[in-house]
Amino acid sequence: MAKDASSGTTSLVSRPVIVEGEISGEENLHVDGRVKGIIRLAGDLFVGANGVVEAEIDARSIVIQGAVTGKVLARRQLEVQSSGRFSGEATAASYEIRQGAVFEGVSRMLGSKPQAEKPADPADHSPKK
Amino acid sequence: MFGKEKTEAAPSTAARSDNDTAFFGAKLSLKGKVAGSGNLIVMGKLEGEVDLNGELVIAPPAVLNGEMRAVTIAVSGTVTGTLSAGEKIHLEKSAAVSGRMNSPRISIVDGATFNGDVEMKKPADGAASSKRAEKK
Repeated sequence: MAKDASSGTTSLVSRPVIVEGEISGEENLHVDGRVKGIIRLAGDLFVGANGVVEAEIDARSIVIQGAVTGKVLARRQLEVQSSGRFSGEATAASYEIRQGAVFEGVSRMLGSKPQAEKPADPADHSPKK
Repeated sequence: MFGKEKTEAAPSTAARSDNDTAFFGAKLSLKGKVAGSGNLIVMGKLEGEVDLNGELVIAPPAVLNGEMRAVTIAVSGTVTGTLSAGEKIHLEKSAAVSGRMNSPRISIVDGATFNGDVEMKKPADGAASSKRAEKK
């Protein structure tokens, strides 16, 4: 796929792979496996339905279909899709939390003062199966 | 009511991967440990440890530092440290390796740089030696 080393490149942590440590760079990252540690990206982070991320995250946009735990900064948008689960502390410029998604923790708007934090319960429609 | 119920399908973005090959691009750097099965292509910087039950491909402009274990390892980037392969190690023309290589089969293409020790037997550490590499 990506021969082009521009910021359009998307790296992939595939399903059978586990990464522990710090991942940083000017790319997008797609996680279908597991990542534990720190993720700092100039690009976007996409956590696929099988992805499990336990990390401190700083990325442009973050899309969650799998599970993410940790302290998260999305400079553009944090999106938790219907199969996604987030728990932790989120800061983002905008949020999209789909029906069925799980969001547990704190959300802040990027740019607002820290005291403006509110408990995040926009998605208490936890899937009950 | 109509017969079929709409399943709540995962949105369009889900499609992308039934792909077992992990890929770290040139502008990504990683400090720590990578483990698992499947294949891994590294073009970026990696410092630490790789323990892979599959094929490790180190492609330029990759710079790796540490201990890499896999079933097969193909190098055309730069590595400092230890390479251990259960089956084979191959150094391409653009490879620059310094450290240790440990594998039952080793090939080095003319033009590759290698400085260090070679040990040609199966790594005692069995982690990477089982044969799951051909799984597609």
